[in-house]
Amino acid sequence: MLDKNNCSEKTDEELVALALKDQDFFACLVEKYEPKLMRYVRRISAATQEDAEDLLQEIFVKVYRNLNDFDPDLKFSSWIYRIAHNQVISHWRKTKVRPQVLKFEADEDFLKFIATDENLARDTERKFSGEEVRKMLENLDKKYKEVLVLKFLEGKDYKEISDILEKPLGTVATLINRAKKQFAKIVEEKNIKF
Amino acid sequence: MNLYPKAQLYYFLRLSFRKNIMSKFCDKVLCKIKEEKIEPKPKWHFLLKDYFVWLAFAVSLIVGALAFCVALSIILDNDWDIYRYLSLSPAKHILLSLPYIWIFAILLFLGLALYNYKHTKSGYRSGTFVVLGLSVVGSVVLGSVFHSLGMGRKIDRIFSQNIPLYQNVHCCCNRKDIWTQPEKGLLGGRILNIRKEDEFDIEDFGGIIWQIEKNNETLIRGPVLIIENEEVKLIGEKRTEKRFRAREIRPWAGK
Repeated sequence: MLDKNNCSEKTDEELVALALKDQDFFACLVEKYEPKLMRYVRRISAATQEDAEDLLQEIFVKVYRNLNDFDPDLKFSSWIYRIAHNQVISHWRKTKVRPQVLKFEADEDFLKFIATDENLARDTERKFSGEEVRKMLENLDKKYKEVLVLKFLEGKDYKEISDILEKPLGTVATLINRAKKQFAKIVEEKNIKF
Repeated sequence: MNLYPKAQLYYFLRLSFRKNIMSKFCDKVLCKIKEEKIEPKPKWHFLLKDYFVWLAFAVSLIVGALAFCVALSIILDNDWDIYRYLSLSPAKHILLSLPYIWIFAILLFLGLALYNYKHTKSGYRSGTFVVLGLSVVGSVVLGSVFHSLGMGRKIDRIFSQNIPLYQNVHCCCNRKDIWTQPEKGLLGGRILNIRKEDEFDIEDFGGIIWQIEKNNETLIRGPVLIIENEEVKLIGEKRTEKRFRAREIRPWAGK
């Protein structure tokens, strides 16, 4: 019988091993990652709360089906974020026939983070308000928004982003730098007035 | 803490609401898993998939190396010095002699090796140019080993004997056509019989039988043997309709 109080004492890797023997333990992983992944899915997709829930359910079912594929060389969180990312992309590919664009949902934390980023401020010689950043982000490429969400909002390091997006470390670093440069360029070129 | 009882209550209600939603969602997921009798795929399924990708990578690398060794054999065996007899510039002769189909095969299998490596579990961690560079080095090293074992010539010969259009497509010029130009001093074919020490007959690639003269000044290059059924290339001059004087004799494979 599952004692959910024990969940918090166990590592993700232990929970994976337990979930493989007793599916009730999978509930511990669902409870732990549901809020994080819900936020992440909504940040990188145009999904409504309902759609995001359906998507999240598909993600967890996929995670359960592929539990034996979890590689302990990775962090479990990187692996589950990777599945979530791929599922969102695949969902987007399936539904893009409809007039729906993958829209970026920038929340206040993220806007604040970007707006106060020292390197960015140095590049553009100024700091920005949240609203300014929101407008400029709309002009950023999707691939740049993705890495910015993982870096600044989800607080992932380069290695984790590399494992989630399945890109080499160097590429991740380049993407983040380019994202910042593109951001600075947008500011410079458009001379955005708010 | 007692200074903000309303805030505390609001926080508590929000937390309870969130926990309620969360456990509902959790139940929904588990319910779906149980109702649809979803099971984790077995470990061997993933291992097999991973081994298959690694095998595909290894096969791509080996086939690429074989293509490299055939291309190397063709390049090394090519008669780069006969452009004078063909009235071609050296550059044009080089362009017409390159084994394009094998070069295409090398590029194709290098691409496949890269694709397969990138689809291994940890393949994404290495940069494209690193994987491509290592695949090139691997193909060159392995291809050179195959070449030293004589595999390039064997494959080239097998293809020539079994694929009718191979000679026409493996490079711009059909080698047999090049060596069937006695009026330009180039003749190739199979030795039919040895008449005397300095005279023998050959059948060219068009089926015409030629009487070949040679003398002490005739240069015999490479490991060529003047024996029956040996395929040879001759550089010299056409004397009469079916007589040819050889200044140089080369083996058909090689120089």
